[in-house]
Amino acid sequence: MRMSTSAVIARNVEWSDKACSEPYEAGWADTAIFFVRALKPGSGMAGRAFLEISPDGMHWVREGSSFDLPTGKDEVSFLRISHFGTWVRLACEFAPESSLRVLVTLHLKS
Amino acid sequence: MRSNSSTASQSTMHPDIALGRFDPMRRIIALDDFDRGFCGWTQLVGNYEDDLDAMLPGYAQHSSPMLSTLGHWDAGSHGGVDGDYALKIATRPEAGAQNTAIKRLTFRKAGPIRLEAYVTFKPEATELKLSETDVRSFGFLFDLQSGDQSGPGSERVMPHLRFLNASDGEHVQKWQFKREAVPIVPIGSENKTISHYHLAPDGWEDLPGGEQRLCYNEIPTKVNWHYLRFDFDLEAMACTHFQCNDRSFDMSGFDSLRIPAMKNLWCMLNVAFFAETDTGKRTFLYLDSVCLSGDF
Repeated sequence: MRMSTSAVIARNVEWSDKACSEPYEAGWADTAIFFVRALKPGSGMAGRAFLEISPDGMHWVREGSSFDLPTGKDEVSFLRISHFGTWVRLACEFAPESSLRVLVTLHLKS
Repeated sequence: MRSNSSTASQSTMHPDIALGRFDPMRRIIALDDFDRGFCGWTQLVGNYEDDLDAMLPGYAQHSSPMLSTLGHWDAGSHGGVDGDYALKIATRPEAGAQNTAIKRLTFRKAGPIRLEAYVTFKPEATELKLSETDVRSFGFLFDLQSGDQSGPGSERVMPHLRFLNASDGEHVQKWQFKREAVPIVPIGSENKTISHYHLAPDGWEDLPGGEQRLCYNEIPTKVNWHYLRFDFDLEAMACTHFQCNDRSFDMSGFDSLRIPAMKNLWCMLNVAFFAETDTGKRTFLYLDSVCLSGDF
């Protein structure tokens, strides 16, 4: 049977300006989806999230994939990823005076 | 030289190689080798009602454990005791940050149980220094409650032990326990949920004779696995043995955090491990494997 798990990466965290999730180690997984759910209506402009990968969990590089973050309460955005090595995280960017209360989950499958 | 009969006897004692490095009681309740996945270990999420803002800050910082190969920037994956993966509990990079992983069970007999584990701990290797005082503590706890027929005076009992590795840059290295109840906070408006952050940094007491110098290898990316054993009697709700590597400690001065039984936690048998950082570096606690056994 294939392994799978759901990990909560950030819960009830206010993202603004430039922020990123804590590193998650997932070298065992073949594919993954990041979901970002807006726990409250966003303020200002919609932010954008960028997939980052790392050789060591400390030094990060943008993988090239990105997606718009949700703006309305309980709206969900996602990004499917594969071939990501060992460590993954989401970095985000917001315009000034913009923010979002997020629930970020990572769904991994071997 | 070991005799043939001794070799035969030992191999008969543990025909299952996965149990060979444990000394379990006769009933294996759980044998969790994280080469097989998460084995039911999850994050300890705080209680809330209506709004996540109700969660106490100590719990709000918790996040999900990971499966790790202990990959290091200078030497690659370290691996576990006998496989590739270990369960990784990582704090955030803020002094005093904590994280946990928990397994939630109930018990079928209020008798002796034994927790054994192979664990190791390190700070994130962000500096080319030994960094031996960056990890504040790691430890484990049970969250227990007697059965629903146990009558008046029933208690929720939470034995806690932590290895206080360092405090404010001092390499302390001693075992501590906690018996002092922490403030209980009602959550929400329906009188159904409470919360108490029992891992708060205050209220820890030194275990008498609990000083221990653990193996901490010469750079932050070399780890050595440690053996832990903790015996507890669910009938007496008392600890009967604690061992780390070659040291067994006198537990006569140990006691657990105790509060009145709660109306929805009968026969609870939860076990958790936790990590805490003393600096602005992440602390990592790794569990290679955990064996929980009982005498029934």
